[in-house]
Amino acid sequence: MNRGNDSSGQDVLRRAGEASVLILISLADGPKHGYALIQDIKELAGVELGPGTLYGALDRLERLDLIESLPADDRRHPYRITAPGAAALRVHLDALERVSAAGRLRLRLGGI
Amino acid sequence: MGDPGVPRLVGVALRCYPARWRQRHGAEAAELAALLIRDGTSPWSIFLSYLAGASRAWLVPRPGRRLSRVACALLIAACSLGLSAGLLASAAPARAASPGRTGEHGNCQPGHVRDTPGTGRPRVRIGKAGHDQTC
Repeated sequence: MNRGNDSSGQDVLRRAGEASVLILISLADGPKHGYALIQDIKELAGVELGPGTLYGALDRLERLDLIESLPADDRRHPYRITAPGAAALRVHLDALERVSAAGRLRLRLGGI
Repeated sequence: MGDPGVPRLVGVALRCYPARWRQRHGAEAAELAALLIRDGTSPWSIFLSYLAGASRAWLVPRPGRRLSRVACALLIAACSLGLSAGLLASAAPARAASPGRTGEHGNCQPGHVRDTPGTGRPRVRIGKAGHDQTC
């Protein structure tokens, strides 16, 4: 499958939804389980992910091979970002940066 | 999923997920709900979140099960067609029998037929008490 490792540099996360992007950002500094992800995303982005949204996004990201589940510790499954996941996140953040820069430039040019 | 810290409400929502999802995430999801409730999250919002997640989980096709999606789409289309046909069938006799409807054009009687200028199509005109109506 490996759809996240797109050699064309295409932004596979463009339509993935905010939750998926936030989860990848949260996993970028190390594996986390569900509760830790919710807490971290709340801290870093001020977004409270519902548990149903979290598991939906985790399943989607896992199907895309962007994350992988590690062996359960007790009942909790930690998740880890994969190499294609990190590449996809980098491409997406670059795209966001370009859009953000263009937006700021236009605001300046428009004198707003 | 029989976690004592998890309200029955959340357990009901978790039971709405497909069995394969419950086997994989069920115990962890129940524990997560218990932790969030302990942190002050409303059980209702957890219930609704899991319920929405369950409906999404049912709609996602399993690998190698693309046909089930097509079957679902066909089923929905067939149901919509059936519903529309049923509504039309029930509305048609009601319209025909409705006294209000017949009363609206109760005085509609063909006067004379003449061609609509430019189109060559016949047009029925009703002449009554100084004003013309077209039916």
